[in-house]
Amino acid sequence: MTNLPRRDFIKQTGLLTGGLWLPGALADALGAPAPMRKIKLGVIGCGDRGTGLLKILQDLPDQFEVVAVCDELPFRLQNALKSAGHAKTYADYHALLDARAVEAVIIAVPLHLHFQVAKDALAAGKQVYLEKTMTYDIPQALELVRLAQQRPAQTLQVGHQYRYSPLYYRVKEMIKQGYLGKVTQIDCRWDRNGSWRRPVPEPGLERKINWRMYREYSGGLAAELLSHQMDFINWAFETHADEVFGTGGIDFYKDGRETYDNVQVMVRYAQEGMVGNFGATCGNARDGYLFKLKGTKGTISLLVDQGMYYPEQETRKQYGTVDGVTGATKITWNKDGGMAITTGAEPLKDGSWYSLRDFHQAIIERKVPDSNVLTGARAACTVHMANQAIYNHTIEKWRPEYNLA
Amino acid sequence: MLHCFLLAIGLGLAAGAPAPRRAYHLSGYAQGTTYAVTYYAADSAVAGADVARQLAEIDASLSLYAPGSLINRFNQAARGVVADRHLRLVVRKALAVYRDTGGRFDATVEPLVQAWGFGPRPVARPPSAAAIAALLPLVGSDKVHLRGDSLVKDVPGVHLDLNGIAQGYTVDVLAALLERHRIRNYLVEVGGEIRVRGRKWPGGAPMRVGVERPDTTDAPPAGLQQVVQLRAGGITTSGNYRKFKRWGPVKSAHLIDPKTGYAFRNELVSATVVARDALTADAYDNALMGMGLADALAFLRRHRHLQAYLLYQRPDGTVADTATRGFQRLIVHP
Repeated sequence: MTNLPRRDFIKQTGLLTGGLWLPGALADALGAPAPMRKIKLGVIGCGDRGTGLLKILQDLPDQFEVVAVCDELPFRLQNALKSAGHAKTYADYHALLDARAVEAVIIAVPLHLHFQVAKDALAAGKQVYLEKTMTYDIPQALELVRLAQQRPAQTLQVGHQYRYSPLYYRVKEMIKQGYLGKVTQIDCRWDRNGSWRRPVPEPGLERKINWRMYREYSGGLAAELLSHQMDFINWAFETHADEVFGTGGIDFYKDGRETYDNVQVMVRYAQEGMVGNFGATCGNARDGYLFKLKGTKGTISLLVDQGMYYPEQETRKQYGTVDGVTGATKITWNKDGGMAITTGAEPLKDGSWYSLRDFHQAIIERKVPDSNVLTGARAACTVHMANQAIYNHTIEKWRPEYNLA
Repeated sequence: MLHCFLLAIGLGLAAGAPAPRRAYHLSGYAQGTTYAVTYYAADSAVAGADVARQLAEIDASLSLYAPGSLINRFNQAARGVVADRHLRLVVRKALAVYRDTGGRFDATVEPLVQAWGFGPRPVARPPSAAAIAALLPLVGSDKVHLRGDSLVKDVPGVHLDLNGIAQGYTVDVLAALLERHRIRNYLVEVGGEIRVRGRKWPGGAPMRVGVERPDTTDAPPAGLQQVVQLRAGGITTSGNYRKFKRWGPVKSAHLIDPKTGYAFRNELVSATVVARDALTADAYDNALMGMGLADALAFLRRHRHLQAYLLYQRPDGTVADTATRGFQRLIVHP
C-alpha cells in the first residue's frame, strides 16, 4: 500500500468553516503594507544573544536602525560594531538610556539584571524588548507587570522568539481546531552534549561571561532553554502550571558550576488536565530539541523550524479515508503516516526575525505584542517554580497572586 | 518516463456467486504530475500499459512539454495545423467556455504565462509593462477557430496552452477507457483532477473525495477542507495558492488575467467545481478563479449544471468558504 500514500487522508474536525491564519505569500500578495517608520534602537548587552539579534536586525533595515550598543566588556563592543555599523558605544547602560536618540532598547543582559535594566528603561520612556526569561524570580515578575501597566503607551515585549515563528502560530491554531483532540501529555527536551560554557579570555571574566553557571545570576537550563516550551504551552493552551515537581544535579560537568547540568521537571496543568515533562541535559545530544504534544486524536512533533502531525489510528477510523483528493497541486505524504505542518511559500526565517518584526509593529501600531509582560511573567513564574522545585526538593504550587490580568 | 504499479487487493472469493468485484489500483507519473486509477471489477480488465498508451497519445497531442506535440506545432505554425481528435475536443470546449465566461477562461494566454515564468522555459526577470503590452495583441481565443479538420489562427503569434484543462480531459479519456471495458465503478485522478462513477466493492460504499485545504502556498497542507461523496461526475480544483514567482519585490501568482496581462488579483483562494465530466469542471474552475467571489457566485446561479465550492480571503486575512446548494448536498459531515 505504500505506493498509494494519498489514500490515507483524514478528515479533520473544526476545519469546515473555521477562520484560517494565512501568513506568508498569500497575505503578502493580498494584504496592504504596514505603515513603515524606522525605529532607533539601542542594544544593551552584546554577548551571544545580543550580537545574534544584531545580525538578525541587519535583515530588518526598514524597521530598525541600531544607533547605540552597550556592554561593559570592550572586546564585546568591538565585536558588536561588526553588525552595528556606526552605532554609538556605551559601557554603562544608564548613559545609553539617557540618550534621546534612542527610542527603543533590546535588553540582552544576564538574567539577574533583566528586572533592573527593564525597570530603568521603562522609566527612561523607552520601548523595551527584554530577552527571556523575563525576570530572575517571581517577585520581580510581578513588580515588572505593575510597572509596565503604569506605562501603557510603552511596549514591553519578551523575547520568547521561537513561538513567533509562523510554524508555532499554526500549531496553536491546530490545537484550537481540534487536530489533537484532548491533549494529556507534552514532552519537551533541550539536550546537548557539551559543557554549555563560553571561552573566557582571562580568568577574571569567568563569572561575567559564564554567568549561566552561577545561581546568583542565572536560572540555569530551565530559564535559558526550557522556558521557551513552558511559555509556548501557556500561550497555546491559555493556561499556567498549577503544580511543579523537579529534580536534577551537577551530574557530569563537575567544573565548579552551580547551576545543574541535568534537570527534569514535571508540571501539572490542572485546568487543562495535562502533564508536561521538561528535561535538559548537557550529557547527551541525541534528542536535541524535542517537543511533542500528545492528544487523543493525534500528535504534533516540533523542531524549532519544522513540524509534523501524526493522526491517531482512531482518528482515521472515525472519519474514514477518502478515495481521492482534488487540489490545485499534488500532495505527498511521508511513510510513517505523518504530514508536514506548513505555513507558507517562503522558507521559515529565524524566530527572532518574526519576533523583532512584531516588536516594530507593536510600537508603530501601539498594540500589545503577543509575547508581552503578562505572558512573560507567567513563563517567569513557571521557571522560578521549576528552579525552586529542582534546588529545594519541594513541590511548588501556583498561587492566586500570580494570576495577572 | 512512466512507472506503473498494478496492485490488487482482494477479499476471499464467495463460493458459488458470480465472480466478486475487487479493487484494482494503477498509478504512475503523467503530465508532470502523478495519476491514480482505482476500479472495481471481477478481473484486471485494464492494465498499466493500457493507461500508459492512452497517456502517451494525449501527450503527443496536447503537451507543451513534449517537443513535436501537435499543440507545439500549432504554436510554431503561422496559420494552423490539422487537428487530431484530442486537440479538437479540448479546443472546442476551451472556445465554448471562453465565450460562456466572457473571456475569463482563455487558452491563448500562454505568451503571458510564459513571460511570467510559468511556462516551459525559465525566465530571469518579470516582464516589463512594455513587454506585456506587446503580448496582449496575441492573446484572445477569438483569434482561434476550428474549421473542418483544421485548427487555425488569425494572427501568427497566437499560442495555445491547454494545460489548464488537459488534466481534466485526460481523466475523462481514462474513464472512457475503463467504460470501454465495461467497468462502471471507478475513480480516476490526474494531478488532483478527478472523475468518478459508481461505488466501492465489496461493500458498496460511496466514493469519497477530499477537497484540499489550501493553507499553504508550496508545500503539503495539513488536511482537507471538505469531503464530498459523488456518485458520478468530474470534480476539479483550481487554486492561486501554491504557485508563485518572486523577483525581488515583484511577485506573481500563476493565474494570469488575459485582459490585463497581470496575475488575477481578487479574494478567491481556490475554486472546486463538480460537473458532468472532468473537462467541463476543469475549464470552469479556472474561469471562476478569474471572476472574483461576487461574479463567480452570480455566474454559478446562471449555470445550474455546475456545482462549486469557493475559498476566499477576507480583508483581515482569514479564509472563509462558500458553496452552491448542490455542492453542499455532496458534503459528508463526520
